[in-house]
Amino acid sequence: MTLAILCRRAFSDLRQDFCAQLITTMVVSLSILIFAFFTLLYFNLQYFVDRFGTELGLTIFLTKDTPKDRIPSLHQKLIGLSEVEKVTYISSEEAFRRLEHFLKNEKDVLEGVDPQFLPPSFEIQINRAMFQLNRIRQLAGEIDKWPEVSKVQFGQEWIDRLYVFSGLVRTIVAITGILLLFTAAFVVTNTIKLTVYARQEELEIMRLVGATNMFIQGPFLVEAFLQGLLGSSLALGIVLGGYRFLQGFEAKSELFRGVSICFIPWHYTVAIIASSVLLCVIGTALAMRRFLRL
Amino acid sequence: MISLESSIIRFKDVFKKYSPDNIIFSGIDLEIEKGEFVFLTGPSGVGKSTMLRILFCAERPTSGEIWVDGVALSSLSNAQVPYLRRKIGVIFQDFKLLSNRTIFDNVALSLEVIGLGKKQAEQRVMQVLEGVGLTGKMSHYPLRLSGGEQQRVAIARAVVNRPSIILADEPTGNLDLQRTEEVMMLMEELNARGATIIFATHDERLFENTHRRVLRCLNGKIRT
Ligand SMILES: Nc1ncnc2c1ncn2[C@@H]1O[C@H](COP(=O)(O)OP(=O)(O)OP(=O)(O)O)[C@@H](O)[C@H]1O
Ligand SMILES: [Mg+2]
Repeated sequence: MTLAILCRRAFSDLRQDFCAQLITTMVVSLSILIFAFFTLLYFNLQYFVDRFGTELGLTIFLTKDTPKDRIPSLHQKLIGLSEVEKVTYISSEEAFRRLEHFLKNEKDVLEGVDPQFLPPSFEIQINRAMFQLNRIRQLAGEIDKWPEVSKVQFGQEWIDRLYVFSGLVRTIVAITGILLLFTAAFVVTNTIKLTVYARQEELEIMRLVGATNMFIQGPFLVEAFLQGLLGSSLALGIVLGGYRFLQGFEAKSELFRGVSICFIPWHYTVAIIASSVLLCVIGTALAMRRFLRL
Repeated sequence: MISLESSIIRFKDVFKKYSPDNIIFSGIDLEIEKGEFVFLTGPSGVGKSTMLRILFCAERPTSGEIWVDGVALSSLSNAQVPYLRRKIGVIFQDFKLLSNRTIFDNVALSLEVIGLGKKQAEQRVMQVLEGVGLTGKMSHYPLRLSGGEQQRVAIARAVVNRPSIILADEPTGNLDLQRTEEVMMLMEELNARGATIIFATHDERLFENTHRRVLRCLNGKIRT
């Protein structure tokens, strides 16, 4: 049997049984949609935590008596560290200006205060790829030992708490996701079973007039393949659409500024599509097996 | 005694029981020659259909051995069964037509499964449909046909791939006298062309004046 004949038979089946096929595809799509939504949630939690950590960065306060000409070499030293993405020098005057800006109308309170009273500092942004809480902690400890440094600050307690909390949430989301995966597999295989059972008579008759199992199964498997492929692609397409919509929000709205989101990594989307196809094909083959014995 | 070579079907000590108190056959020995036309008769429920079902492997015997065209059926795996069935045309008592396919497609199914080209298949289907007088209804669906017409579709599908063995299970059960005559003629013709035919019926009139062998099922045995 050639591939062309196989496809022709599959498509003629599709046309005849369009409604049932559509329903199966929709069930696949909905199941995958729910699962994909949770996957998206999971990855965004992880993404959020990672990003939050890097955005906190490190602030390195220098001793007030650090000579100005030491600054470039310190800057050089910091930028040379592999964990460091970006270094910004904040002089005492700059820090003072920021304070003034922060106080706005109340800035009179600073009247007569020496602009040099704030220590100069470096603000460091951590390389995203390198981000690891333990490494940053270690780095902070090392920098703290430099003679010019009076204090290294980073939101360690915050990050610690965030990690514990997000770990908990991620576990919950992961467990829910896995349960949903089982539910989806169960619903999909049962829907497939129903469509196969509806055509039980046809299967038995084909077998009785001398059709081989491959001949009978071929079109069903092609249909299952298409259902799995289209259903999961549709679901991921919807999730992607929702993601783009939220991204648009993020760009426009003041409220969402700085809250950035990520999509499911591409190899996961491929895995979701592949699993969905596999589930449909195997489900169909198993559901058909009992009618192909006699 | 018929020699092994010329017998296309051979039963040896065949038992069939569905349950300990539902014994259909208790030790059947039977040989049918190549090109023979035999009648299989007996009261309703005696096991005529069961015997035919055993022959095309829709049912396995409880014990004993059956050879069809030299092949021991017990040695056939599920994957090999389709190839046996292509040599056997079965006219089912309950027709077994696909209700979602036209008459033409139903008949063409036998050719489709063996992978015959579309052109060639079409030609043969038309020829056979003409033979059973259904050319005008070929694009109808089975459920819109009368019982007799459906029966003739079933006959057409069974013979279209020119099988060497034809198992006819009450092929005239729903036909009037004239149609019955026609079906008998068709069977004779197929037989004349070399097909071995087992014709199951409880209608005594069909073989009243025949010189053909009549197999009578009774109490789990077959008498000639
Ligand atoms: N799958 C089955 N399980 C149990 N009993 C069965 C099964 N199939 C058939 N039988 C029994 O086997 C017996 C023979 O059935 P069969 O259909 O072969 O009779 P028949 O001679 O063809 O009758 P008819 O002339 O009415 O067609 C019946 O009593 C039937 O109840
Ligand atoms: Mg019967």
